[in-house]
Amino acid sequence: MSTLRVDEVSVRFGALVALDAVSFTVEPGTVHAVIGPNGAGKSTCLNVLSGVYRPDAGRVYLDDRELTRLRPHHIARLGIARTFQNIEVSGAETVEDNLMLGRHHLMRPRLAATAFGLPSVAREERRHRTRVREIADFLGLSAALDRPAALLPYGLRKRLELARALAMEPRLLLLDEPVAGMDGAETAEMADVILRVRTELGVTVVLVEHDMGMVTRIADRVTVLDFGRRIFDGSPAAMAADPAVVEAYLGGAPSSTKEPA
Amino acid sequence: MSDRLNRLMPKAGWVAAVIVLLALPLYVDGFWLSAGLVAMAAAVGAVGLTLLVGAAGQLSFAHAFFLAVGAYGYACFSGEPGAATLGLGLPPALGAALAIAVTGALGLAFSPVASRLRGIYLGVASLSLVFVGQHLLHNLTGVTGGFNGRDTPMFTLAGFDVTGSEPPVTVAGVPFGATERLWYLGLVALAGAGVIARNLLRGRTGRALRMVRDSEVAAAVLGVDVRRSKATAFVVSSMFAGAAGVLSALALDRVVPDYFGLLLSVEFLAMIVIGGLGSVGGAVTGAAFVTLLPIVLARYSGVLPLVADAGSGGVDAAVLARFCYGAAVVLVILIQPDGLAGLGRRLRARLGPAVPSLQEST
Ligand SMILES: Nc1ncnc2c1ncn2[C@@H]1O[C@H](COP(=O)(O)OP(=O)(O)OP(=O)(O)O)[C@@H](O)[C@H]1O
Ligand SMILES: [Mg+2]
Repeated sequence: MSTLRVDEVSVRFGALVALDAVSFTVEPGTVHAVIGPNGAGKSTCLNVLSGVYRPDAGRVYLDDRELTRLRPHHIARLGIARTFQNIEVSGAETVEDNLMLGRHHLMRPRLAATAFGLPSVAREERRHRTRVREIADFLGLSAALDRPAALLPYGLRKRLELARALAMEPRLLLLDEPVAGMDGAETAEMADVILRVRTELGVTVVLVEHDMGMVTRIADRVTVLDFGRRIFDGSPAAMAADPAVVEAYLGGAPSSTKEPA
Repeated sequence: MSDRLNRLMPKAGWVAAVIVLLALPLYVDGFWLSAGLVAMAAAVGAVGLTLLVGAAGQLSFAHAFFLAVGAYGYACFSGEPGAATLGLGLPPALGAALAIAVTGALGLAFSPVASRLRGIYLGVASLSLVFVGQHLLHNLTGVTGGFNGRDTPMFTLAGFDVTGSEPPVTVAGVPFGATERLWYLGLVALAGAGVIARNLLRGRTGRALRMVRDSEVAAAVLGVDVRRSKATAFVVSSMFAGAAGVLSALALDRVVPDYFGLLLSVEFLAMIVIGGLGSVGGAVTGAAFVTLLPIVLARYSGVLPLVADAGSGGVDAAVLARFCYGAAVVLVILIQPDGLAGLGRRLRARLGPAVPSLQEST
């Protein structure tokens, strides 16, 4: 079980401050939501956590280990998996091969043995394929295993990306708007999947979301960003009553979620 | 029933192809065998290039350079000592292996560049290698023989000539000379190259390379070391080029610098595009098409209208062939981006059983 600590992280793009000394702590075994209006810096925050961006100031720690200096593939190997706001799967590859990519860091790199087709390589491949099928099953993707990912409907592709992240056997899962563009039924299903990921697999989840309803339903803790600044950090119940949040977030855009008084 | 038929058909096709290729020296004369050998050498190189360009999405014009390293490397390692050009007199199989190793080492030396650049930028940077290579081939006369090149050393294996005729062998009344023997070496090399490439593409390495091609960021957060993957693709691809260089040297009997110019690199790119990027079978088919077309056209230039004799100033076979595969490249890019390999897949899918629909899954 590991704690993710974000400490005074700032990211600038030219004159634009995308993240302004943002801090929060993700406790192990929780679903921690990061929400905020468009352009608040949520995706930038995930990019820092996964090593895609290097912050201009501040640090990120997984327990005592600093992540901010590591390259993304090192962070991935520490057990941090993520999905993207715009789905990033290989369309031409089958669902199964996309999932196998999640196993990449768990498989031994043996170029020569692979080239010459040694039986041990085939055995390793088979072992991981078995596990990948279990994960596909867990997410209801079994029937699609042999399909090229590009042929899946949008909702299933979102799910495939989540499955691929789970195939990495992560301890921490970063999800960037997993229900964006989904209808009510699909959203409810996805919320259910995320809760099962936490309870059945014991994975800590950082959830970037727009959908307030979903957040209040499944998050244990919420960090609210607005224009790169953290304006709230606490429980979903407290968030709904917080005047700054109401003003910046709920007050601005009309939303379909239940409004606080 | 049609299900079983569908599973057996590709296998039967393979067996038939292998039998035909093995029996060919019994029925086909030396001219066509030589042409086939050049095509096989090209196919080995094309398979390597499709790993780099097709799978990893990295453009490279350096292939001709690495072929030259393989060809001249073999000539140096196994050439006769004491001749006008450098020769170490090593056993040919060892010389060939060392030539491939040296090509890989040079690929590795260039890989810091190859691993930091992406796509077309690597293409531009790799041009430099072709020009450096041409300069060296023309000017390092003590090693390369300069403009006129140098002879390819004989290939013998445990006293058996592969590019000679000792001891004499006759099969079904056909005496097996240098060309016939080399044909089988070519087949072995091509089969080896094909199997190795296929294993790499199907496994962990290939999956990572394709993800790097599709999105470097996504690959990286999946734990793929992007730079290392690109470097690996570059090194492996250059080793294939090295092997293709050795085979070309043997097939052509002589290595000359002009053969390894920019045009050769462009032809390799044409091969893998026509065949379908990232496909081993496509690379082989594309290589056969691009190498054999000018040979066929030249052979029949007398009976073909429009084809002038070489050197007469008209459109000769080589030029016409270039027009043809130029057009083929454009056609592939416009209407069939996955090339001949994709065409084959589509035909098989049409002949095969209907795929069940997906919607029932969730
Ligand atoms: N690579 C980049 N270069 C320049 N500006 C960027 C870059 N990435 C993000 N930004 C800017 O930083 C700000 C925060 O962007 P970010 O994508 O993190 O917002 P977000 O909270 O994820 O928004 P959304 O809800 O629309 O996904 C935006 O103003 C955006 O335009
Ligand atoms: Mg975003």
